[in-house]
Amino acid sequence: MDWMLKLLHGGAGSLASYLAAHVLLCLLPAFFIAGAMAALIPKASITRWLGRTTPAYVSYPAAALAGSLIAVCSCTIVPLFAGIYRKGAGIGPAVTFLFFAPAGNVMALAYTGSILGPEFAMARVVLCLLFGIGIGLLMSLIFWRDDATHDAETDDAFADQAQIAPAALGVLLSLVALLIAGTLKLWPLTSTVGTVTLPLSWAQAWQDTLFAWVPFDAAKGEEGVSLQGSVLIALLIMIATTAWKGMENIMDGANRWTWVAIGLAATTLLVAAARLTPVPGGLEFALTGRVLGVGLTLWAVWHFARQLPADDWQAWLWEAWRFVKQIFVLLIVGVFIVGMVRQLIRPEWIEAVAGSNTVQANAVAVGFGVFMYFPTLVEVPVARMFLDLGMHPGPLLAYLMADPELSLQSMLMVAAVIGRTKTAGYVSLVALFSMCAGFIYGSWIDGAILQSIAMALGLFSFVVAASYFWSRARGPINPQA
Amino acid sequence: MLTIKILGSGCANCKKLEAVAREAATQANVEAEFIKVTDMKEIMAYDVMSTPALVINEKVVSSGRIPATADVIKLLTAA
Repeated sequence: MDWMLKLLHGGAGSLASYLAAHVLLCLLPAFFIAGAMAALIPKASITRWLGRTTPAYVSYPAAALAGSLIAVCSCTIVPLFAGIYRKGAGIGPAVTFLFFAPAGNVMALAYTGSILGPEFAMARVVLCLLFGIGIGLLMSLIFWRDDATHDAETDDAFADQAQIAPAALGVLLSLVALLIAGTLKLWPLTSTVGTVTLPLSWAQAWQDTLFAWVPFDAAKGEEGVSLQGSVLIALLIMIATTAWKGMENIMDGANRWTWVAIGLAATTLLVAAARLTPVPGGLEFALTGRVLGVGLTLWAVWHFARQLPADDWQAWLWEAWRFVKQIFVLLIVGVFIVGMVRQLIRPEWIEAVAGSNTVQANAVAVGFGVFMYFPTLVEVPVARMFLDLGMHPGPLLAYLMADPELSLQSMLMVAAVIGRTKTAGYVSLVALFSMCAGFIYGSWIDGAILQSIAMALGLFSFVVAASYFWSRARGPINPQA
Repeated sequence: MLTIKILGSGCANCKKLEAVAREAATQANVEAEFIKVTDMKEIMAYDVMSTPALVINEKVVSSGRIPATADVIKLLTAA
């Protein structure tokens, strides 16, 4: 019984501190950005670079761009993947798209950066991009025969041209600025402009109560819930209830609750950017540079959003809300379970299996990623847990690369589109390359000389480029053209 | 009698689109047969690059987005 209580307590504690801490300033704008990308970027503005007559040096980067800009959920990934493969640029760019989408999209990037640190986000993006293009090229090299016997289709599906409207671009850029203003730990964002002490005498007592409910243990990397955190959690619950009434039928126009929910979301961001500290006899409110930055960018978002046609901003809010419904619930459940599991795993086990950057450690991490299936983005808090428990960053990156690419679900999907043989090829390439990526990142963390890393990556790029020219030398991929 | 097809792998947006289309058919008082197409090969045959897509009498009328109920009513009465 005691044991169960301890587990539940671990889960609740991890969830509460997760919701209360830094995560909000990153996740809330990220949901809106993902929604804006899904609704406001016309797919034809990118897919027109993915037709079968497009040269490879355009189609591969375009496939990666499509992965990072317009693929935030499986509704887009599956048809686009099948479309590029069957009717467009062929298996190479299709695979690049498929590989890069889970790691390179804005949600994954922002989330990895805020939970695991910016270096991890950078490493994840750069290595995924490089290896994504590499795997794509290798796949088209191995299976070039199949590409040649492809359905003789025209470029029709890829011929549409579209531009992003200026207002939509303004909304997107201001949202990205909002995300940066909310998360970057740089002066002047971190400076304090002024403080006011509010005469709220219960503040100190409430903070003591919170720490009694969710005890924190800095040695184990656990965080408690601050007073500010409790305010944020309350705001979140209010958003959840109002958004349900305001967003569910947004397609038919906005109602009163829509505006309440949007106002609450903006308030949440501003509160999260300020600093509330209980002091004897009151509550100190510190106006930080971050509050001003967030306020300014929020205004910019509002300014541009007003210029959008009704269809567009309704579609934007709907997509953002859909992502919240789809991902946020899973994240909350995931974080709760991670908090429970954490009480069971002993740091020594992790230390023994993946405490240092060895080939075996990377292989184990990749294997774990393949057999464990975590829903979208839950792999990130799981990775945080491993990091806290003493896993080496190298194998951790290997796991982060393998997990979203090689889940059972994605393998089945790929197999349905491209067949079993090619899926087997794809899976083994991804496993191999994830291990390499983890090993390279790990040795960089361990302080390997930059030159040797650069040499390894350079060698890899050379092999990829050589294979590309070799495949070109064999003649055009599409004999009908 | 119209044939309305909803193309999509079964994600949340496809369900929403189906609900919107059914609502529109009821409001417009149009008799229609609803078919959900989830097979990727069949979906690709319609040349759509993003789901959910709405097909009325074998003609793709929208893809990659959820139209407002009022717009679907217009499409249904025009078909």
